[in-house]
Amino acid sequence: MIPFDDILAGSGILFAVGTFGVLTRRNFILLLISVEIIMNTAILNFIAFSAYAPGPSILGVTGQAVAVVLVGLAATEVAVGLAIVLALNRVRGSVDVAKAMDLKL
Amino acid sequence: MAFVLIGLLGTRLKNGGGLWAVVAEGLALVWGLYVALSEMGAPLPYHDVSFVWFGLPNGTNFAMGTLVSPLGALMLLVVNGVGLLVVVYSLEYMGHEEGLPRYYAELMLFLTAMNALVLADNYLEFVLFWELVGVCSYLLIGFFWKKPEAAAAAKKAFLVTRVGDVMFFIGIFVFFTAFAGVVDPHAVLYPGTSCPGASVGGGLPWACAGFTFTTPNANSATTFLPAGIVAQNANPWLMGFGGVMILGGAVGKSAQFPLHPWLPDAMEGPTTVSALIHAATMVAAGIYLLAITAIFLGFTEITSLIILAIGGFTSFFAGTMGVVAPDIKRVIAYSTISQLGYMAMAVGASSLVSDVSGTFVGPGAAMFHLFTHAFFKALLFLAAGSVIHVVGTQDLFKMGGLRKYMPVTATTMLVGALALSGIPPFSGFFSKDDLLGLTYAAAQADAVAWPFFALALLAVFLTALYIFRLVFLAFSGDRYRGAPPSAPHPGAAGTHPPTDPHEPSWIMRGPLVILAALSVAAGFLPLLPAFRGLLPGLSWGLFGFTYTGSGWIFSTPDLVISAISLGLALLGLTTAWRLWGNGRVYALPAAGPLPRIHGVLLHRYYIDDAYDAFGRSVILGIARGFAWIDRYVIDGTIHGFEEVFSGISTRGRKLQTGLVSNYASWVILGLVVLVAFFLFVVPHLSGILGGG
Repeated sequence: MIPFDDILAGSGILFAVGTFGVLTRRNFILLLISVEIIMNTAILNFIAFSAYAPGPSILGVTGQAVAVVLVGLAATEVAVGLAIVLALNRVRGSVDVAKAMDLKL
Repeated sequence: MAFVLIGLLGTRLKNGGGLWAVVAEGLALVWGLYVALSEMGAPLPYHDVSFVWFGLPNGTNFAMGTLVSPLGALMLLVVNGVGLLVVVYSLEYMGHEEGLPRYYAELMLFLTAMNALVLADNYLEFVLFWELVGVCSYLLIGFFWKKPEAAAAAKKAFLVTRVGDVMFFIGIFVFFTAFAGVVDPHAVLYPGTSCPGASVGGGLPWACAGFTFTTPNANSATTFLPAGIVAQNANPWLMGFGGVMILGGAVGKSAQFPLHPWLPDAMEGPTTVSALIHAATMVAAGIYLLAITAIFLGFTEITSLIILAIGGFTSFFAGTMGVVAPDIKRVIAYSTISQLGYMAMAVGASSLVSDVSGTFVGPGAAMFHLFTHAFFKALLFLAAGSVIHVVGTQDLFKMGGLRKYMPVTATTMLVGALALSGIPPFSGFFSKDDLLGLTYAAAQADAVAWPFFALALLAVFLTALYIFRLVFLAFSGDRYRGAPPSAPHPGAAGTHPPTDPHEPSWIMRGPLVILAALSVAAGFLPLLPAFRGLLPGLSWGLFGFTYTGSGWIFSTPDLVISAISLGLALLGLTTAWRLWGNGRVYALPAAGPLPRIHGVLLHRYYIDDAYDAFGRSVILGIARGFAWIDRYVIDGTIHGFEEVFSGISTRGRKLQTGLVSNYASWVILGLVVLVAFFLFVVPHLSGILGGG
């Protein structure tokens, strides 16, 4: 069985990668992917903690259930995000977030 | 029962038409007569709580209820009797005016409110309708709202009475706290009557809260202070203060000095309104208030004295102004103020006598004068209205010789004038005699009252002087002084060209004749024992002989007072005849003190000007001060906040780059800070706080 710490470390590395992506990418689609990666680190943590949790197994089931819900949530989020990307592309002709700065005064 | 009928009146007034008003008011009069007759049969208060208005946490409930008391029944007679005659009179007098539905609607609203006021079973309800009649007065004074004077007069009337109303409110609060219960003066005024419905209104001792008499017999010589009040340790000084405050309300409503200036100006309204509201009913509400509150007002001698003093002084003071006023309606208005002063004086006198002697003397003398005054003053106003209607001016010096053209008006006016001056056998004699006698008794009880008794006697002379000045200037002589005015007088309703003055139709003459008859008859009503039952404390008599109900008691002082007042009245009458009778117009000497006095009187002692100046300098100064505070302190604070936040936001908005990546950086930064906080700070915190 993979050691608990290793899983957490992997999850942390994934989180760092996602964060790096969010901070550096200008392409909206890549931004979305980075956000998804961050989301997945959270899901990974849920599963890890549920699998290694002491006590009655009902706790483990709960963690897995949350993970499944979160996967669904991520899918929804991506759907919304891609819809925004499509709309942005239609209006701007590009998916570069640096070109969508209308909120600035 | 009462509210159902008044409710009916309320729906009727929406129809607006004058005939409907007559019908409604006729019904009201019939009902008022019924109530009065049943009260005469058995002077028990009829009490009924219609519904609970609102309750207080301490268990006190305020209800809207009906309380028919003997005094209230008397007022019902006055209000609805004069009301009906005025409405009938209006049919012709106001016939040519615009906005008649408004006029009748306001008149009906007024009558409704006035009826309800008389029947109110507690002060709070009383105040409600008190304000309502005030509003109606405002609306009706300003009936000719296109005229700036009328609008200004309406505003003045409203504002000046408001000063009194604020005091009235304070007085009610004082009473309320002092008694810790509901104040129901009727229960006090007619002791010996058990309080029906005492447990109505949320299961509380309602009508009699706090007022139980030790001796349930009004005639036995017992202290008139309700035992309940003593038991509750009411502070007499607090009660005295409350009494003075209540008096303030009455002073405002009844146009007593120093809140009198609104009433002469109120003459800008239609004459019918002056007759009904500003002579017979609404201004009398102040006296009615004093009468039903009499028992509390007598709590401290000083309160009684203040009332007596204000009344006595006003009666004289207003009389002096009445002697010079050139406007026929204003003369009568000053006379009203003066007569109301008499009534207030009588209330003060009766409570002063009660105070000193320890035996409660009811305010019957004041109420009797109110009763007779309502009829002859309404008569005078309506007769003056009839003159104005025909002549088209209110200026006495442009009239003259009208007796020939308008015999009925002239005769009825003469009856009213005789009644007002107190010449027997007209009603004013009996009522005025009665209250003068009472004031004499008060002066004997407390010497401070003497000067006011003297002023009241002087006012008798003035009364006869000014009212016969009016009568002689308008009616006597052969010469009609007025030139046909090119434009109708703005205040006169339905003016005809004055080329041929003539009597108005019987619609207007009828009420005059009826009122004249009443002016005579009202004086003799106390001969009926049932009527006397309505007026506690009345000692009706004739030249020193006082009628007790079974026989006559003679007293020399009464005879002397009667003789003096009658002599003064006759003196006033003859002086008026010498100065203004038979077409003469008294011309002032060019020099000497007289023209100066005349000027002061014409300017109403400069009191209005003083109030204006006071308003302009002091009040406006205060207002400017507040405006400054508003601009620089309150607005300044707000502007200061605005400066701070706009500064913050000008800098802060630079953070909003619009670039998503930058926002994301902030989010991550926040996350890092949070994580750092939980990793490094929180463990230390829990260590410090001793938590897990």
